[in-house]
Amino acid sequence: MRGLNGLLLVAKRELRERGRSKAFLISSAVTLVLVVAAIVLPQILGGGPTTYQIGVIGEGNTEIITALSDLAAAEVAAAGEGEPDVFETVEFPDRPTASSSLAEGDVDMVLIDGTVLLRPTETFGDSSLAGRLQQAAGSVRLQRLVEENGQAAADVIGILSSNPLEEESLRGGEGDGTRPMIAYAGLLLMYIAILSYGAWTLTGVTEEKNNRVVEVLLATLRPWQLLGGKVLGIGLLGIIQFSLTVAAAYVVIRVTGFIEVPDLPVGALVSLVGWFVLGYAVYAVSYAAAGSLTSRPEDAQSASFPLTMLAVAGFFVSIEALNNPDSTLARVTSFIPFTAPFVVPIRQALSAIGPFEHLATVLAVLMSIVFLVRGAARIYAGGLLRFGGRVKLREAWRSARL
Amino acid sequence: MLLIDDLYKAYGDIAALAGCSFRVVPGRLLGFLGPNGAGKTTTMRAVFGLVTPDRGRVLWGGKPVGVDDRLRFGYMPESRGLYPKMKAADQLGYLGRLHGMTGPDARTAALAWLERLGLADRAADAVEKLSHGNQQRVQLAAALIHQPELLVLDEPFSGLDPIGVETMAGVLRERAAAGAAVLFSSHQLDLVEDLCDDVAIIHQGKVVKAGSVVEIKDASPVRHLEFEFSEPGYRLPESLEGVISSQTEGNRHRLLVRSDVDVKAVLADALAAGQIRRFIYTPPSLSEIFLEAVG
Repeated sequence: MRGLNGLLLVAKRELRERGRSKAFLISSAVTLVLVVAAIVLPQILGGGPTTYQIGVIGEGNTEIITALSDLAAAEVAAAGEGEPDVFETVEFPDRPTASSSLAEGDVDMVLIDGTVLLRPTETFGDSSLAGRLQQAAGSVRLQRLVEENGQAAADVIGILSSNPLEEESLRGGEGDGTRPMIAYAGLLLMYIAILSYGAWTLTGVTEEKNNRVVEVLLATLRPWQLLGGKVLGIGLLGIIQFSLTVAAAYVVIRVTGFIEVPDLPVGALVSLVGWFVLGYAVYAVSYAAAGSLTSRPEDAQSASFPLTMLAVAGFFVSIEALNNPDSTLARVTSFIPFTAPFVVPIRQALSAIGPFEHLATVLAVLMSIVFLVRGAARIYAGGLLRFGGRVKLREAWRSARL
Repeated sequence: MLLIDDLYKAYGDIAALAGCSFRVVPGRLLGFLGPNGAGKTTTMRAVFGLVTPDRGRVLWGGKPVGVDDRLRFGYMPESRGLYPKMKAADQLGYLGRLHGMTGPDARTAALAWLERLGLADRAADAVEKLSHGNQQRVQLAAALIHQPELLVLDEPFSGLDPIGVETMAGVLRERAAAGAAVLFSSHQLDLVEDLCDDVAIIHQGKVVKAGSVVEIKDASPVRHLEFEFSEPGYRLPESLEGVISSQTEGNRHRLLVRSDVDVKAVLADALAAGQIRRFIYTPPSLSEIFLEAVG
């Protein structure tokens, strides 16, 4: 079969056979369920307002509890969603009875005469409640102070519960932390997707060699057609599975409204998808070449170990780039095909890469993919018809028919 | 016509092919014989470009074999292999398409071949669910799906039961009769002698004997001579020339003679000596020729 036709036939078979296989359908279903569960469960289990039980002894506690509720209400008002936490009081006649209740866990903390806060242990357990009580007590004192000066108490509480400083980032724009967050989430997804779909090409190639069908195929197909078709077919299937999962997550989020989705910057999204395709191409082609060196599935993992290490390295470099997008490391790794797909989208999301540099990295990676495909096809050609043990990279390279 | 022209191939210090030459003619079956490791598989792989020879050419119709030629070739490799989880008919259809057939044509041909090989009811079964013998049949269909002009089969008879052998032989004869050039390797020499028009014997990477079965046998310098009387007591005439060896068991005589022996004189002498029950004069079997060629 000549040229692209052969490649497309191979890709089509991968799509059909793999897409219909139980393994694919089950893994898709499991991923969907996991993603939906990851969104829904925390909200059901941990969502909504918390009710605290606070023990009180003596006088002077009521104002603090009222201030605590007001602060909680003000926080919710500032966030624009949710319900404020509820604080219920339990009165104790003396310290010993309060202490035993606290030890039993019937109450979360005990307030004594508006001056002492009794906590269950000295650990950092529920220090946020302690912090909020301190804040409330502080506001009550401030309130008394300003009341003597005739100021409105509400203003004080308002100021205390707001963030009076406006935050800005070095790169201008609003530093709401959304862009790095999205970049990080996208990076994580991409890392997982590239590694899982790359592993499919690895096992796919090894299987063809293991069940010896490869010799029949190579009687009509060139190795690059088989390699290219496999990478394309599995890539399309991966993109379908990936988009379905993301779409399902999006629908669930929209329908339930559990998580607030910020408006995604279109440029960053396009770049993320583009780099996913490039990254997948780099890794899938390399994984296929690694797979052609082994005849047995159990050898495949060890043959591909160096590649997996490269991906892990790329991932760590990109996390470093999240903190330091202008560093020399980030700049250099933007031009290395195995790390660029992880690093460049991060730098782009942080506006740390100009359009020209971005274009240059894309071109560099595209060019290296061309060389990678040629090199991988040669290794693939040399490795495919050598059965039995593991084929050494050098041997495969040398024995390749071209 | 497929012409294998002076192929050389070395793997490190080991010479797999060292001047291998022979031809496969359309409409004829050629048995490719040789001890293990003589270079049969390497030669067949060279036809499909799976091995690049260090020297020599593989020609089809007088021109070096190219990608388009291979679409019209059928190949059954020694290491059988199909996708285990793919349905038999789908698998054949896919291989048909790889040989340039359209989707519907490939589908029709796949079902026709499964029918022909007695697997019509297994078309929708995954290959791994078929018995070993039935997987072999699917493998044969895979090589035949596109009506190839050249059929190359590496050990097609190994592992087949007598019925399987008969089916395979029938299909190969039929393809040759339809005009295809058929090349297959085998260690079953009696079968090859029965089935093939031509043979090529390869030894240590070099074809040491090639030609039609009849010619090769006729060209042998020896003949078997065997005759049997109703009564014992016959003695070979002292004057008979060209006897290499002889043995007598009662009234039965078996001789190995040179091919230029005067058969008529022997027959006349025997007829004069008494009543003859049996008189056989034949060239050696292919097995003997093979052993002599590679021994």
